[in-house]
Amino acid sequence: MNWKYWCWKLVTIVIFIYVFSAGLLIPLKPGIEEILPSRGRAGEKLGLQIKAYNTSFTKGSIEVFIKSRDSFWIKTKDLNIADDRTLSANFNVPNFLPDASSLSQYSIIVSSSYDGAFVIPGKLILSQDSVNLTEAQRLWSGVDPQFASLSKMKFPYRNILYETIRNTFFHVSLWFAMFALLGASVYHSYKYLSTNHLDHDMKAYAQVRTAILFGLLGLATGSLWARFTWGSWWTNDVKLNMAALSMLIYAAYLILRAGISEIDRKARISAAFNVFALIAIVPLIFILPRLTDSLHPGNGGNPAFGSEDMDNSLRKVFYPAVTGFIMLGFWLSGLLYRAEKLHLRIEDRLT
Amino acid sequence: MNNKFLLLWLLPLTAGAQAGEDFMRSSGKIHVVYGVILIIFAGLFAYLIRLDLKIKKLENKQ
Repeated sequence: MNWKYWCWKLVTIVIFIYVFSAGLLIPLKPGIEEILPSRGRAGEKLGLQIKAYNTSFTKGSIEVFIKSRDSFWIKTKDLNIADDRTLSANFNVPNFLPDASSLSQYSIIVSSSYDGAFVIPGKLILSQDSVNLTEAQRLWSGVDPQFASLSKMKFPYRNILYETIRNTFFHVSLWFAMFALLGASVYHSYKYLSTNHLDHDMKAYAQVRTAILFGLLGLATGSLWARFTWGSWWTNDVKLNMAALSMLIYAAYLILRAGISEIDRKARISAAFNVFALIAIVPLIFILPRLTDSLHPGNGGNPAFGSEDMDNSLRKVFYPAVTGFIMLGFWLSGLLYRAEKLHLRIEDRLT
Repeated sequence: MNNKFLLLWLLPLTAGAQAGEDFMRSSGKIHVVYGVILIIFAGLFAYLIRLDLKIKKLENKQ
């Protein structure tokens, strides 16, 4: 057995086993789905119905807090646990709120010795008739309470996304792998233009073909994901349209190749096209969505993978997933290249 | 080649129609993740089959 030939392929398989098992088996953190009612008044009793996800309210001891933006908080008076995912918490909202306006947003924090602490930020709106900050600071506690913490690795909970946050490992990795393949193909196209060696042309062609497969899969998986998070198979998001446009550019590459029969001419023209194609799609996919607004995280001005969208638990699976898909891409394109090369060799022998 | 891959577009559509809205949204939308994985596998296998056919053709030529 040729060790060098198989080693990185085995690594690819191991990475994929890790990505699929960790990506699917690690549970989500608990989170609050919704609270009812979402409004309350100062000086009144407030009975909050809390619906949560991935929680076990019947186990461990639970405390519920209302927290202001400036970290003043009150604790629940008493609570009723209906089942593992629902509880109602009763509060006596003090006469004054720790906020200078009559209407302000408050966060709800549930702290459970079994599930850890989790929060729904800014969901509760409290109102007051008159502002009295000094009195409010006496009525509300300013010292941070001790929240229960959980050491187990779990993926972040996001409303609307729920379990589909796992698609980050599959859908996003496909696009990373596509760009790695396109980058490599441009390198080979450049090599072909400078050396006129057909090997480079075949490599570039195989890599573009595989990149197109990954791109189409990226569009299809993204479409399914969008249907159940954004509510439509296709939205007018810039990134979507530009990704579709870049697929069309590469479809043109395939058509161009199919249209030229002379091998050297085909190789030279398609190599030049390939170099320009990548130069064209970089601004389409990376720059344009950042200039305008996009539903994709990290667009509309902000850098991708800020701590809001990608936390350390996701990174531990996401980076291996990207590596795995890139390696799989090179494996697949390598097979296609070898088939193409055999094809050329057989043609040569026959003629 | 592209015609075959374009069929992949139909996959999420049929999955959504057959399984129904509620099913896809149940259990924390985990079925959406399964759907995505299914699409990826379908694509990879389509690629594999095409490659297989290509190599078969080469073998026949030889």
